Amino acid sequence: MQTYQRGKSLGDRVLLAAVIGLALVWLAPIVWVIGLSFKPNEVLMHSTGGILAPPFTLKNYIDILAASSVFSWMLNSTIVAVGQTVLTLLIASLAGYGFARTNFPGRSVLFVLVLAALAVPEQAIIVPLHTMFAAADLHNTYAALIAPRLAFPFGVLLMTQYFRAIPPEIDEAALLDRASRIKIFFRIILPLSIPAQATLGIYTFLHAWNEYFWPLVSATKPAMYTLTVGLASMQTNFAQTEGIGFLMAQAVFAGLPVLILYLFFQRHIIAAVAGGPIK
Amino acid sequence: MADLSLRHVSKRFGQVEVIRDLSLEIPSGEFAVFLGPSGCGKSTLLRMIAGLETLGAGEIHLGGARIDTIAPGDRGVAMVFQHYALYPHMTVRQNMAFGLRNIATPPNEIERKIADAAEMLEIAELLERKPGQLSGGQRQRVAIGRAIVKQPRAFLFDEPLSNLDAALRSRTRIELARLHQRVRATMIFVTHDQVEAMTMATRIVVMNQGRIEQIGTPMEIYQRPRTRFVAGFIGAPAMNFLPVAAVREEAGHLVVTLPGGASVTTTVPAAGLRSGAALTLGVRAEHVHPGSGAPARVDVIERLGERTLVYANLSDGSTIVYDEPGDVVLQVGETVHIAIDGAAAHLFDAQGMALHG
Repeated sequence: MQTYQRGKSLGDRVLLAAVIGLALVWLAPIVWVIGLSFKPNEVLMHSTGGILAPPFTLKNYIDILAASSVFSWMLNSTIVAVGQTVLTLLIASLAGYGFARTNFPGRSVLFVLVLAALAVPEQAIIVPLHTMFAAADLHNTYAALIAPRLAFPFGVLLMTQYFRAIPPEIDEAALLDRASRIKIFFRIILPLSIPAQATLGIYTFLHAWNEYFWPLVSATKPAMYTLTVGLASMQTNFAQTEGIGFLMAQAVFAGLPVLILYLFFQRHIIAAVAGGPIK
Repeated sequence: MADLSLRHVSKRFGQVEVIRDLSLEIPSGEFAVFLGPSGCGKSTLLRMIAGLETLGAGEIHLGGARIDTIAPGDRGVAMVFQHYALYPHMTVRQNMAFGLRNIATPPNEIERKIADAAEMLEIAELLERKPGQLSGGQRQRVAIGRAIVKQPRAFLFDEPLSNLDAALRSRTRIELARLHQRVRATMIFVTHDQVEAMTMATRIVVMNQGRIEQIGTPMEIYQRPRTRFVAGFIGAPAMNFLPVAAVREEAGHLVVTLPGGASVTTTVPAAGLRSGAALTLGVRAEHVHPGSGAPARVDVIERLGERTLVYANLSDGSTIVYDEPGDVVLQVGETVHIAIDGAAAHLFDAQGMALHG
């Protein structure tokens, strides 16, 4: 520890101080939300300060378990996020394997088109998407909530690059071992790409869980709300809510699955954000 | 075991012709080594036999049946890759079993074959490990084991020793030679290392620029190279090449003069060669004898222990390397006199073709 301390330069210390400062800035609202969620609504009517001072209550959480729609929204979010994650992994992996390993006419052009799709913002295609799903009468269905994000260019790019890094000799060895292309993909290549799958899976899941814009457009019936849309609908109808403490408890409740996911896959998430492999 | 036959095989990569109308017969049970410099097409040829590259033209037959039209896995060949290509997520046992499971081999037979191969290669204690937990030499053995359990009609080795250190490479050469004696299968081994070729091959196929330069046993290739390319590629140190001129005939044999004036009587018949024809004399270090003959100045001395290689400059500046005993007393800059053993020397014409006696 002593050596470590001595080895640190001034730059490192400044950086560390900045990181701690930023972490505090980011943590402060979360701590505040958690604190408020344990406060009686009557107290919060007067002031939302003093979160560390009693009285505290669990009533807000009990009310969630008893009454609100948070559970059904959470179920919707889970179905959408899991569905999107599983299907994105499958589609991106298959497309990536195709780009990385097969040589078909127009491959380069197609790959450039996939890359170009990275530059198209979601907002730019929201109207045609809405029109298409309306025409197919698919709004307010899980299919509508899941489908538009499945063609995920970043996922295809990530998997293509990962598969390219796997020596082709391994595929060739499997070919000589009388494995079919499909068998090579599922038995050899997919297991070897678990780190990339984890990265893409976590990224997709978190994105799907936090997605707000498209569910807001597509899910218009409260029964099909995802958690983000549901919580937002309560906030916008502030006067009708049962109080700030209850709202905060819902926010905490909504964040729990992601927090649990983070705790389990911390290493993979950091690797995904840093863009490097897992050590 | 099978005869491998390549008939008028060609291959292009874009504008580059990597294999040019190549025909070759490898008798059953041979240890054939494809030897040549980088880019000569030897690995491509091996991959074409395996089915990993398509043929531009020609046919490949194994054991009398045409195989170039069928899938790699159906050809009855097993390949050991340069970087081993073991499945990293599988244990050694699973690596060896994968190919057998794919052809629905009964589990007890799979176990028996793995146990036999593991015993032969001394890898029984590694069966539950994954490739990442093995050393380079162990991976090499596993890769060979994966090939052996399939009992292929032909083994294909693509420079499998190039990633091993010198000591391990030398040991593995001996083990591969033993393995060949034991399984008696046709083996095709690709390398650019002439020592590997000389030590393991029953037949060497020397390749250059997509063509076969010469096929023969190691000693045939060493003692009677058909071209200047083969002569220069085989043997360490490389054969000396000296520009000479045909001067006269002596008892029907050609006499040539070295730079500096000394003459060498070769075993090449003089008939058909005009006096003054520009030729290249090729002679190996062990056939250059110090003591008398053309004067030369010692330039570099390489001591190898049991022998010493002396690089000396002749009067025209050309360098000749010759053998001295390991403990020879010699200084750089000293003048020595060297004589060439005409009976062991080779002559090459302007096209690089050997003129044999």
